Amino acid sequence: MNILEVRNLKKSFGSIQAVKDISFSVSEGEIFTIIGPNGAGKTTILEMIEGLVPPDHGEIQFGEYNWNKHAVTIKRKIGVQPQSSAMFDLLTPEENLNLFATFYEKARPTEEILQLVNLTEHRKNQVKKLSGGQRQRLAIGLAMISDPDIVFLDEPTTGLDPQARRNVWEIILELKKLGKTTILTTHYMEEAEKLSDRVCIVDQGLVVTLDSPSALIEKLTNEREVRLSFLGGEKASQDAEHFANALDSVTRTEREGASLKLWTIKPEDLLFDLFKFTKDKDYQVEQVSIREMSLEDVFIAYTGKEWRD
Amino acid sequence: MNNLKQFKQMFLAQLKLTLREKQAWFWGIFFPVILMVIFMTIFGGGSNDDFSTKVVIVNGSANETSAMMASQLQQIPIIEVADPVSEEKAKVLVKEKEVDAAIVLPESAQATSIKLIVNKENEQSVSTQVVAGVLSQFIQQANLQAVGATPTFQQQFETVSSGSSELEYRDFLLTGMIALSIAQGGLFGMVDLVDMRRKGLIKRLRMTPAKMGIFGLSDMVMRLLFSTIQIILLSLIGVFVFGANLFINFPSLLLVFLIGALAFNGIGYFISSFSNTNEAYMGAANIVSFLMMFLSGIFFPVETMPEWLQPVSNILPLTYFADGLRDSMVYHTSILATPFWIGFGNMLLWGGIAFIIGSLLYKRQSIVSTR
Ligand SMILES: Nc1ncnc2c1ncn2[C@@H]1O[C@H](COP(=O)(O)OP(=O)(O)OP(=O)(O)O)[C@@H](O)[C@H]1O
Ligand SMILES: [Mg+2]
Repeated sequence: MNILEVRNLKKSFGSIQAVKDISFSVSEGEIFTIIGPNGAGKTTILEMIEGLVPPDHGEIQFGEYNWNKHAVTIKRKIGVQPQSSAMFDLLTPEENLNLFATFYEKARPTEEILQLVNLTEHRKNQVKKLSGGQRQRLAIGLAMISDPDIVFLDEPTTGLDPQARRNVWEIILELKKLGKTTILTTHYMEEAEKLSDRVCIVDQGLVVTLDSPSALIEKLTNEREVRLSFLGGEKASQDAEHFANALDSVTRTEREGASLKLWTIKPEDLLFDLFKFTKDKDYQVEQVSIREMSLEDVFIAYTGKEWRD
Repeated sequence: MNNLKQFKQMFLAQLKLTLREKQAWFWGIFFPVILMVIFMTIFGGGSNDDFSTKVVIVNGSANETSAMMASQLQQIPIIEVADPVSEEKAKVLVKEKEVDAAIVLPESAQATSIKLIVNKENEQSVSTQVVAGVLSQFIQQANLQAVGATPTFQQQFETVSSGSSELEYRDFLLTGMIALSIAQGGLFGMVDLVDMRRKGLIKRLRMTPAKMGIFGLSDMVMRLLFSTIQIILLSLIGVFVFGANLFINFPSLLLVFLIGALAFNGIGYFISSFSNTNEAYMGAANIVSFLMMFLSGIFFPVETMPEWLQPVSNILPLTYFADGLRDSMVYHTSILATPFWIGFGNMLLWGGIAFIIGSLLYKRQSIVSTR
């Protein structure tokens, strides 16, 4: 069942077309990730869905509810962590949570949220004294206080160290276990791959492609990149390249000194033949790897642009 | 019911925010107290008049008018009147700075000129200003009497020239300082709003079903509470440390206080509506505050200012706020007195217009520029 449906959203700021035409739907209980480079329009999309920015065009439907008629109902159903984590700096996490709790008719107990976002220890420190990661976790906690069905997280891990990022991932997966629907944005392909049920890649205000991470990668190509390096030096890699080029399954090769890159649609066959060849010639292979395809390759394939975090 | 709960929680949060905001305490409480103490010790004096100015009177030919004036001058606490001398002698004394000024009284009961002789170097000094101010009051009164003075003016005349003298400047300064601190609280306090907007907190609150009206109300109640602390603290120091005399009419005071505080918060709100950074806000608020501080008769009566500036003072809300506080705290004026209502009208107009324009500006720029 679709808990959220977005059709043909458009938004311009003066002459800038921030969102050109975006449509997608999110089903209950899924983690839906919007990924794209800076200025792609992610925040604008979220803010339109959250009812903060009126779209120039398009429809937003939360099941049977929409912003025109059911603003208060929707506000009770959603929890939001904005990109700039806004909260009262002079209050403690506990006080912030308690205050936000009074905005809602029913709220989860503050202690429970503190535990969920792992801030029990810091609950009595003023927010201005918290680290970036702790602030970010509190922002997620504030989004959770009303026990919402849908949670919007705008770049919850940007600027965090790897450990803190992993903490946030755990929280997001925890939300999924609780049956919540999460819509998040990120710059990190790795994060999108790890967390999401489905990924929506956006660039310049348009959906580039949308599917589950594995489907996107599979769709991309069945060509794989195999890397080898030889102990025997240049001669060995030269011979190996020569040999590989003669094989049907190899589409392309690239060599630099003793290391060799091969592209193939049948990596297992290639490796089998290649190792037979090196064994016969008594060449010693130092390293072998098959490069995994990632969402980065998906982005490059669709946009023709390099991906930068 | 739920509204009440929300209000309570929001007010509690505001209370904590205010208690933890050191800046608020410094500028709202500590600074006015220090300022008042400084002014009081310099000008309000303990029993020995720290601020006094020496003048000589030139009474060329004694007559009815000059006699009356001489006796009234003698009663003014901060003016030390030396024995009468001739005009030539007086000029010498002024030149040698033996005295701050010489006042040449009318030569006959019909004469219309009073001359003030001051040293050119001292022309801008406080003493000169005070003497000139006092003198211009006299002249005004004398003129009024000549055409048949009205009772209202008569009364004012008495408060200036007769009476408990030395206490007056303290009372004047104390009530002025209270007016100034409350006004500044309103003018500067709304920087919080800019800050909240800049940090995206307003936007954040709007994503929740929180009632922004209740939030605004709790904020306002907190500000009024803070101003109440200012008024009590400054009054206590004024009365117990500097011996000011207060004779308070509470209903009047309550009304002046409420209207004044709301008006200045309205002006602060207006400034916040077009300031995108804290610095921009503080700049604008400082200009407004600075102008009002010196033009609204806080430290010295409006009457001591140059004639051409006085019309400006007479449209500034702080003038009326200070006067209103003086009337209700020192003169025990009843709420029904007319000058009160002129003041209320002025403050309500300023506050109301500022608030309305501010609201329109807030609406117009909406969310787009609040990122
Ligand atoms: N309030 C606004 N006024 C003017 N332009 C805006 C406004 N909000 C967004 N834009 C523009 O719209 C485009 C999309 O911005 P948006 O913040 O949605 O991107 P984003 O994908 O969230 O980027 P980031 O990854 O940096 O957060 C940008 O070019 C931005 O400059
Ligand atoms: Mg963004």
